[in-house]
Amino acid sequence: MQNDSRRKMVEMKGVVKFFGKLKALDNVSLDVYDGEKVVIIGPSGSGKSTLLRSVNRLEEINAGTIVVDGYEISDPKTNINKVREEVGMVFQQFNVFPHKTVLENLTLAQKVVRKRSKSDAEKIAKDLLAKVGILEKAREYPTRLSGGQQQRVAIARALAMQPKLMLFDEPTSALDPEMIGEVLDVMVKLAKEGMTMIVVTHEMGFAREVSDRVIFMDEGKILEEGSPEHFFKNPAHDRTKQFMRQIL
Amino acid sequence: MAALADEKKSQQEEARHVTIDVGDGAAIPSKKDAGLFTAWRVAFFGAIATIVYLAVSKPDPYLDIIKFVPDGILVTFEVTVLSILLALVIGLFTGLGRISKNPLINGIASLYVEVIRGIPLLVQLFYIYFALGRIVQMPPLPSAVFAMGICYGAYMGEIFRAGIQSIPMGQTEAARSLGMSNSQSMYHVILPQAFKTILPPVGNEFVALLKDSSLVSILAVADLLRRGREFAAESFTYFETYTIVALVYLIITLFLSKLISIMEERIGAE
Repeated sequence: MQNDSRRKMVEMKGVVKFFGKLKALDNVSLDVYDGEKVVIIGPSGSGKSTLLRSVNRLEEINAGTIVVDGYEISDPKTNINKVREEVGMVFQQFNVFPHKTVLENLTLAQKVVRKRSKSDAEKIAKDLLAKVGILEKAREYPTRLSGGQQQRVAIARALAMQPKLMLFDEPTSALDPEMIGEVLDVMVKLAKEGMTMIVVTHEMGFAREVSDRVIFMDEGKILEEGSPEHFFKNPAHDRTKQFMRQIL
Repeated sequence: MAALADEKKSQQEEARHVTIDVGDGAAIPSKKDAGLFTAWRVAFFGAIATIVYLAVSKPDPYLDIIKFVPDGILVTFEVTVLSILLALVIGLFTGLGRISKNPLINGIASLYVEVIRGIPLLVQLFYIYFALGRIVQMPPLPSAVFAMGICYGAYMGEIFRAGIQSIPMGQTEAARSLGMSNSQSMYHVILPQAFKTILPPVGNEFVALLKDSSLVSILAVADLLRRGREFAAESFTYFETYTIVALVYLIITLFLSKLISIMEERIGAE
């Protein structure tokens, strides 16, 4: 599966992160290749969100190195804003901008960061809204939308920057069950278009359909990794078995 | 750390519902507080009726007083509006300074707030006019505005700080994840949302400042109170003059606090 001639999009080596005395990440190393889809699973408090958030420096690490798209982001001198332009992030709580319309949510960073003209930004935004199926809500304020719709706005907002890598931090965990499907559909579509994705989720159906690799984290460490089938059929560790029983 | 993140999130959720309550303005009449609502009407219309009654029934000296003091109302408003504008600018930078991670900027902003809040406004007025006046000579009105702006800037800074911090962390994270710089995310995402939260307490400060502006009468600024003093000193009608002055202040502050309560309701309804 892993072919070293492919370009590495993310390269983490010996990453350590403390929250006070708690070791959230314990010497974690992980490579993600261009075009790869990696799903991270693990119990609450296992460090999977922290790992994901360290990829665009929302969490600053205490030791180790992280290279994203050729930039060493663990180096404080690296201009993190430049790297973040290329790395989209989707949050559990959507974090849409409530004071902006759906369309403005998608055009703001395009104009401010990418310096695109209003008409260019709106064209890109409308194409993406059509793609995620909420073009008719373009002029609405996001607070009037359902959770599933808000999350699709958030995904489209990240995509409007035309990122090289997308990070998803439990994108469906805050959703009512009937809305999970519509968000996963968008993510599957994105995966099939070849986007490089790192997804923290418990949706094993999604993992099975699109992921190249599943990573199981426990107590700040990567305990086990393999294909989705490996996790369904014969996980190696007892902790992994126990966890898989709980979520399936 | 999902557990930790959850905890952070729940704290943010709570922070969303915080209303900033700075209680040194006038009592804001809301419909929920029926007692206050009635009291507002009684006080407001009672004050107007009293002035009208006095002017009609005893034109000498009341009508003369009513003709003499309104010049001061304009000055009172001038001092109040200019001071609040200065305080808003100072407050914005102080609030940003208070949440800055830069220890020097944070230290300066915090020190300013602590020092100013620890000194009575009247003492600050004296200090800026008389003590600093030995170094930089300023006419009374600018010194008054300068002193009031600096004083209220410290309180305003706390309002801005609380308003900015009431916006969930996720908003900043989303903006920063899109590649926006700290100042871009503050300007485009955080401040526009914080503005709604801080508008009512800023209105409240405006009313408080208007009342405190009566202190500037000691600096030879011809505000409402000063005009009253001048009239009373010439005519020896202290009781009558100060009755009118007090009623005029009352009508102005009641009117403004009503405006704020309407504004609060509009914001709440959105």
